[in-house]
Amino acid sequence: MPDIWDIAAITAKFGLYLGVLTASGTVFAAAMFQLKRYRMIAVIHAVIGIVAAVVAFMLGGAMLTGDASGMTDPTMLALLWSTPVGTALAYRMAGLGLLIIGLMFRTGGIWIACVGGLLALMSFVQVGHVPGRDDVLLSAALILHLGAVAIWVGILTPLGRLARTPDAMVAAASLGHKFGQFAAVAVPLLIVAGVLMTYRLVGSVSAMVSTDYGQALILKIVIVGGLLALAALNKLRFIPEMMAHREAGAANLSRSIRLEWGLVVMVFLTTAVLTSTLTLPT
Amino acid sequence: MFQRPLRQGAALFMAAFLGTAAFGHSPLEATTPANGATIAELPETLLLDFKGNIRLTRLTLTHSSDATVDLNLDAFSSFLSEFAVPLEGKGPGIYEFAWRGLGDDGHPLNGTFSFTVE
Repeated sequence: MPDIWDIAAITAKFGLYLGVLTASGTVFAAAMFQLKRYRMIAVIHAVIGIVAAVVAFMLGGAMLTGDASGMTDPTMLALLWSTPVGTALAYRMAGLGLLIIGLMFRTGGIWIACVGGLLALMSFVQVGHVPGRDDVLLSAALILHLGAVAIWVGILTPLGRLARTPDAMVAAASLGHKFGQFAAVAVPLLIVAGVLMTYRLVGSVSAMVSTDYGQALILKIVIVGGLLALAALNKLRFIPEMMAHREAGAANLSRSIRLEWGLVVMVFLTTAVLTSTLTLPT
Repeated sequence: MFQRPLRQGAALFMAAFLGTAAFGHSPLEATTPANGATIAELPETLLLDFKGNIRLTRLTLTHSSDATVDLNLDAFSSFLSEFAVPLEGKGPGIYEFAWRGLGDDGHPLNGTFSFTVE
């Protein structure tokens, strides 16, 4: 059974994924689709990401001593800092810090924020199962995967908000349509990257079905399948309805985006379990 | 933000998941005395042999019904694969050890082993 430390580690990882991916994705989406009113969402998630990154690092200290004293033990934290875990924390702090600073500038700041977002995403190729393989192709797949997921998550709240705004239906439909064009390229890339990472990390069908790690990954893929189905519904049904000025389309899109958020939360949670407490099949 | 069924679903999913999780990494290749061994006399040093280099951060010993004690690791302040830790005899009984450490890739590691002194 998982103890309190495992649950804390999973929670911190979840906060890290939610914070880093949503903050980065929001500024990427803002730059790509000229969004308005995105700063607050990005800043809030950047703060969540920073707090979660620090807590995750301190929990690493607790892992080394086996009790809470490790969370503030200077020797343990200095030791962790000297490893790739410390490098990842530095990327996260610098990246999310830069993202927040960028958002303070009215003009041009968005590009500073995007560089910050990219730095924060790059923290995930410093430490973990993928960089452990020392495989450039695998790390590239992970970055591509994270970038595409971030933009997807980043567009959700601004698009949902626009869909709920009276008189903004055409603008919402147009944003949804542009995002659909991006997704038509990004989703196949996500699938290729996902298949490559699964193949390299899990290695065989038997490991996929017989190990905890493989089963958790199957669960993650099933939830992602649900997300893709909702995205297809948005693109093929609700956005065209909105373009045809049918109010029901906007209400449906808004509901669909809420459901997408629920599934995204489950994907982050599954990933947090995969990366913090489950071991790779050997 | 989320509807109730979704929230309940998430809770259920979390509960189902945590039940099956396997925890920790243990790259400890061998110990002397060996894990599970029964020996006549306690050696002066305990040998730990790891697959890769690790920084050992904690090693505790629980002897039969005595309280758990921390073994001194001050002599080992770098990443090593072999450790020789001085042992103090506590008489016959079961010697249970728990160790924690950090792999040089930043991975936290831990494990347990035990042996019996007759």
